[in-house]
Amino acid sequence: MNSNSLNSNWLNSSKDALWYKDAIIYQVHVRTFQDSDGDGIGDFLGLEQRLDYLQELGVSAIWLMPFFPSPLRDDGYDIADYRSVHPSYGTMEDFRKVLDSAHQRGIRVIIEMVLNHTSDQHPWFQEARSSQNNPRRDWYVWSDSDTRYKETRIIFLDTEKSNWAWDPTSKSFYWHRFFSHQPDLNYDNPEVREQMWDVMKYWLEMGVDGFRLDAVPYLVEREGTNCENLPETHAILKDLRRRLDEHFPGRMLLAEANQWPADLRPYFGDADEFHMAFHFPLMPRMFMGLKLEDRKPITEILQQTPEIPASCQWSLFLRNHDELTLEMVTDMERDYMYDMYAQNKTMRLNLGIRRRLAPLLNNDRRRIELMNSLLMSLPGTPIIYYGDEIGMGDNISLGDRNGVRTPMQWSGGWNAGFSTAEPERLYAPIIHDPVYGYPAVNVVAQRESEHSLFHWMRRLIAVRKSSAVFGRGSIEFLYPANHRILAYWRRLGNETVLIVNNLSSAAQAVELDLGRYKGNVLIEMFGNNLFPRVRDLPYLLTLGPYQAYWFRLRRV
Amino acid sequence: MEDGNFLTDDFLRQLIDVGEADILVGLPTHNNAKSAGAIVRTIRDGILRSFPRERAVIINADGGSRDGTRELITELSISDAHPASSLHALRTLHAISTQYANTPHSGVALRTILSAAELLRAKACIMISPDSENISPEWISSLIRPVYYDSFDLVSPTYRRHKFDGLLTTNLLYPMVRALYGVRIREAYMPEFGFSGRLGSHFLGQNQWSNGADENGTELRLTLAAVTGKFRICQTFLGTKDPVERRGADLVPALRQSVGVLFSALEPDFDVWSTMSGSQDVPTTGDDVELLLDPLRINRKRLREMFVSGVAELESVFQSILAPSTLAELKGIAGLGEEKFRYSAELWVKTVYEFAAAYRKSVINRDHIIQALAPLFRGRVFTFVVENRNGSAKDVANNIEGLCLEFERLKPYLLEMWKSKE
Repeated sequence: MNSNSLNSNWLNSSKDALWYKDAIIYQVHVRTFQDSDGDGIGDFLGLEQRLDYLQELGVSAIWLMPFFPSPLRDDGYDIADYRSVHPSYGTMEDFRKVLDSAHQRGIRVIIEMVLNHTSDQHPWFQEARSSQNNPRRDWYVWSDSDTRYKETRIIFLDTEKSNWAWDPTSKSFYWHRFFSHQPDLNYDNPEVREQMWDVMKYWLEMGVDGFRLDAVPYLVEREGTNCENLPETHAILKDLRRRLDEHFPGRMLLAEANQWPADLRPYFGDADEFHMAFHFPLMPRMFMGLKLEDRKPITEILQQTPEIPASCQWSLFLRNHDELTLEMVTDMERDYMYDMYAQNKTMRLNLGIRRRLAPLLNNDRRRIELMNSLLMSLPGTPIIYYGDEIGMGDNISLGDRNGVRTPMQWSGGWNAGFSTAEPERLYAPIIHDPVYGYPAVNVVAQRESEHSLFHWMRRLIAVRKSSAVFGRGSIEFLYPANHRILAYWRRLGNETVLIVNNLSSAAQAVELDLGRYKGNVLIEMFGNNLFPRVRDLPYLLTLGPYQAYWFRLRRV
Repeated sequence: MEDGNFLTDDFLRQLIDVGEADILVGLPTHNNAKSAGAIVRTIRDGILRSFPRERAVIINADGGSRDGTRELITELSISDAHPASSLHALRTLHAISTQYANTPHSGVALRTILSAAELLRAKACIMISPDSENISPEWISSLIRPVYYDSFDLVSPTYRRHKFDGLLTTNLLYPMVRALYGVRIREAYMPEFGFSGRLGSHFLGQNQWSNGADENGTELRLTLAAVTGKFRICQTFLGTKDPVERRGADLVPALRQSVGVLFSALEPDFDVWSTMSGSQDVPTTGDDVELLLDPLRINRKRLREMFVSGVAELESVFQSILAPSTLAELKGIAGLGEEKFRYSAELWVKTVYEFAAAYRKSVINRDHIIQALAPLFRGRVFTFVVENRNGSAKDVANNIEGLCLEFERLKPYLLEMWKSKE
């Protein structure tokens, strides 16, 4: 069976256009996952070898971080060619193999697309800077002075002093919202918009199931604004969505827009812009609520989260390839988060904390489980960052965000089973500290241990996938007087699930008002055990430290 | 409680919901709806400003309010169930309430709050008087910080007061506690104070709650327990304390709650105070005590008249309490005109000490002893007012210091009387 027929079979069987609402997404960088050719760098064929593992874990989609040709000055987010793959990761044929193999296993493939900017090594920029009269000059944003758009914030505060950089070649300034080696494309130019749709179409025709569109709030600049979330930007995104629906129905767009909920809402439009968007403000508040042992930060941000169209979905995550961003918190909250989670200042980067999940939670299995329980039960599609399912650690001695991008730890053998290369040839050193090092934390060991985090995560994912209520249902909070208990209903049609989480390090008693469901019994979803019938009195539950219950309600 | 429990089930449920607390603010009330809302808002502001990260709770112990005081307080909780848009708080702040009885008893209220503090394992606690309408958010910080950060066990307040406000404190409680217990605590009978969970549990564990001591004046007992238990004590300046409106009829209850409690403590504390000599300052944060000098109308004539009539009417009572020489001196000054009337510091100290000894010996009903002190105290107040009528703050402070030294100098006189029983 050739690739094209595999793809078309897959597409034909993908009748549910809302697949992303039920998905369990696994975020992985090709470079970090598995090296198949012994050069010390992960590649597509290595990834393909590990798809069985992802299938075993239960993920239903993978999100591949940028794998395009790039000078790799920003881990691939500085793209130099949108229509190819970085030679270190293999060939286009290798990519197609991954795509087909994933689809054969029922795993969708979402790829990264950086619309906002290119690498300064991209031929478009090389042409644009070559002369003021070059036809591609206007594909980027140029200025004779660095004083335009002064109300625009600088995102990478630790490295950049301005959003303008001087180009000595063409003797003018160019606009960049991120690193100065990442010039912003000029979306006021119709050729740019058309070109970027062509790029997306190229990958869609190959069979990718969706895009994670990077840095979307910044596409258009206007004087007198902060150059974020502008109506013109939304118009461009809506146009991309229209073309997608017209030519590639069932494919998905996921927005990376690190904004407050009210500012995020427009990215869903009237179900005519993005299918999904990351809920950035929720993530730090989950960590905050856990440390405070108080549900208030979590319920408050979700109270402030506007309704979204029925076909849209929030995308939830605990950790990712970037720092734990603290942009969408108040100064007081940010100080608290730094003091609680990053007392060592080297753990801080920009406005965030560059750490993985397990180290952030002091490798406390109970807290790791609770946070994953929240991730899987709050409304949205969960994204698991590679390695977090086995509790991988980080290496803060590596610069920038590289400390959370170390090789996947497959085994206790040579290079953690990641590569056969000499260790010094690896793209990054493997974690080898006594707590998180590969001899202690690896897939092989956890597969063999029935009570490992890996098996717990498998079970969690399986329970989540057992009901559509988690991906598609509504949420309603209960507000028990015990503020350490975060409890909510998830409902879809006739199905009702009650989630009760203890955010505290101590055992808790809580009385829940379940009167509406009088006569129902509670069935604990992990063990399928019966709990007492709901009566007139408040329902008394006791929970151990950091314990979570998922109950299905049934009349029997 | 009929089942032997002190706290009600409902209150216990509320405490379970609160969980462990770093900071506990206790507020006893009885029909304080007019002031309680503003006071709790200020407490809340103080917590949010100075302790935004700490787990805090406001606990109202109510003596049977019928004016909605309790509801007013509990409505000021900061909770996700009732978002208060103008407030930005990191965490939940519970304001809970319990009604311990149908009539107010400050001792029961304090016991309720101490019991709650122990159950919640509160690290730093403060009590706020429902009369403190001029409370500021800084008070919360001033009372909590020494306990929470500097490991003090008791934080006693000092205030900016009018020179003629708190005369029972300046003329009896402060100098006598200082002379006997050796510590210079300005406000031993404290309307507001901070204390550690450690001290609270120690005090709660003292078996004194079932013998009538839970009536009133428990705040003074707590101070004395801190002193005798060698807990770390400090003072903190809170600012202006508005004088509480008092009627003449309030004096006897005030004497019962303060002097009565002090006298009753002397017997169990004898081993401590009998071996003390001199007195020591306690660490004080903030400004020192300040006295306000604005003109204040005091009915001196009435004070002296009440003294004179008291000495005459209670002569037979005084004969069983006072030494003959002391009684003779009192009768002597009672016969003097207003111009020459002077109740000296020495005579006042002897009077108080003889009352204390008589109280110990129960020469007559102990409550009658306390009541009999009232007219004499008025005579002493007359002299204090006259002596300090035109005095500067420094003059008044010197006058009080002189009285304190007199209490210290005559301490052997009290000891002598005390031991004369054996």
